[in-house]
Amino acid sequence: MSTGAKILIVGFSFATIVVSFLIGVWAKKKADTAQAFFGGTALFGPVVVGLSTMAAVASAFAVIGIPGIIYATGNPMTFWMLSSAAFGMAYIILGKKVRAMAELGPVSSLGDISDLRFDKSRYIKAVMSLVLFLGCIAYLAAQIKGVSEMFAHILGWNYYVTGFLIFGVLIAYMIIGGEAGGIMTQAFQGLIMAVASVIIIVGFFVVTGGFGKVLEAAAAAGTLTNGPVTKKLSADFLNAWGVLPGQVSMVYMLIPILGTVGQPQVLTRMYALKNPRDMPRLGLWAAVSHAFVGFLAVVMGFGAIYLVATGKVPPLAKADTAAFVYADSLGAWAQLLFYATALAAAMSSASMFLSLSAGIIAKDLPEALGMRKPSDKEQISRFRVMMGVLGVISVAVALTNDSMVAILGTFGWGTLMSATFPVFVLGLLWKGASKEGVACGISVALVLNILCFALVQQKFKFPGGMPWYFNVIVASIVVTILVSLFTKGAAGKNLDKAVEKVIEL
Amino acid sequence: MERKQTALVLSIGLLWPVIMVLGWKGAYLPAMILSVLLMFAHLILGAMHEGKVDPVFLAYPILAWAALWILSFVLSAYYADLFRGTAPSFSILGFHPSFAWTVLTYWIGGILTLSVGYYLLRDRWLSEETWSKFKSDIAEIRKAGGKA
Repeated sequence: MSTGAKILIVGFSFATIVVSFLIGVWAKKKADTAQAFFGGTALFGPVVVGLSTMAAVASAFAVIGIPGIIYATGNPMTFWMLSSAAFGMAYIILGKKVRAMAELGPVSSLGDISDLRFDKSRYIKAVMSLVLFLGCIAYLAAQIKGVSEMFAHILGWNYYVTGFLIFGVLIAYMIIGGEAGGIMTQAFQGLIMAVASVIIIVGFFVVTGGFGKVLEAAAAAGTLTNGPVTKKLSADFLNAWGVLPGQVSMVYMLIPILGTVGQPQVLTRMYALKNPRDMPRLGLWAAVSHAFVGFLAVVMGFGAIYLVATGKVPPLAKADTAAFVYADSLGAWAQLLFYATALAAAMSSASMFLSLSAGIIAKDLPEALGMRKPSDKEQISRFRVMMGVLGVISVAVALTNDSMVAILGTFGWGTLMSATFPVFVLGLLWKGASKEGVACGISVALVLNILCFALVQQKFKFPGGMPWYFNVIVASIVVTILVSLFTKGAAGKNLDKAVEKVIEL
Repeated sequence: MERKQTALVLSIGLLWPVIMVLGWKGAYLPAMILSVLLMFAHLILGAMHEGKVDPVFLAYPILAWAALWILSFVLSAYYADLFRGTAPSFSILGFHPSFAWTVLTYWIGGILTLSVGYYLLRDRWLSEETWSKFKSDIAEIRKAGGKA
């Protein structure tokens, strides 16, 4: 990489970090209550919430990791990246219900909604919090490690200094502005991601000549070698299923599309919206901005395939370098935009998961364990302390313990889905979802997530080559429904009248 | 209303394991089609107001989306099988004829229905009147000493 490109990347990244910090500080004035500080509850319009939601959903892995997966296996993963319709689906399914719950009582976390729906069940809140914490901390560690490595590598900086610099600023503005600040900075970062994506997508068409040229090149390429590295390309590689069994495409379609409604970064933003009737507009903003970022990952994967198929670049020794190789081929401006997008994606997801993890430890878990609920002021102080402590520990662990990050990487999207579907999706769509049913469903989710984690470490192959979490999600949902059919706690006639109105809304 | 809800939830409870087993067996096209039905059941539950779904909202975006996606998966499978092991004799906007449907119907079609359609028909999903009535109902429940 040229010195000029490095200067551009450092300058733009520094500006992104500084502006994010200033937005976080500015947002402090909005975060004057526990609800505003923890949840940004009913504070924002559809543009801010839409961009923030997209930015929190599209993690650094989407920009850095997915092009490598597309380079390695073809199109199955494009189902995941082109899942922009998922936002509209999520809001149609649960948008008005979640937002309406914020009218029943003070809501500043997902645990508060669980309390309102399930008659303050401490067990449900505790288990759900534990599973959510596992998923959130996994995402957080992955963002920190991925981006610190990337920036340390390209700029030649010390890895630890880079990590603490980027995420130290992030921790600082989250402590000051809370989740309200988090939502606003994520909206800014989402805007950077969307705009940069559009420009790189245009670059793809200029450099390759379009998808037809990529298909022609892949169909004609055959088997390519570079020393011990071999890459086999064909037209089949670019059909809808790529080189993986079709059921993997099925999972990569269903889990992101339906699973979006179960992601905390989407659920929490539903109650951050000021006017619930703006939910469709929010869906449109999130979908359109996601469409650009999702398509970016696809064109970068296709771009890498084109470069290798046409012999401009030898077959890649490591598929996960595909995004970097392709960005480098476009020149300094594309490198700048690519690294800016990756940084914005990592910061937005990390801030969201840091805030959610800190909220779980500072608020939801102590409440679930029966500890006294402190005053608003005390809650905010605890949250700030926890954000700082958890933030520093996460950065330190992510930067120093590779195996821990790899282990945590087992948990993620599917883990979060297995915890939220019983509580929120079934709980807010079905009057019959009982306290006992949901308690059993999320207990199964917790146990199976840990069990599958152990099996994954043993290299266990799950049936059909499908990801393990699919089975866990199915089990938690089926158990919730089955047990609910035979139990009645906080369900049917025992349902709170106000909650009943929410479910009927 | 409760019966309709329970019937839809039972269909969800049945569809998930069926899709999983079909996936295990490699029957991915039927699994994808049933996945659309699974999502359809969720959408109906979410769009339902006091046990009813607005018929216009049901037709567009919900049914239009479901039809587009089923068509998308069937066409992807058809063209993947037709051109397996060979270069396709034509492309659609430069895409492999199997993958083109992922772009046109799954991605763009999905946005045009579930995002644009949802936005255009937003009042049928939640009208000002419905929201105001909900808030006044909650206020009344509070006044009457309800838990909320």
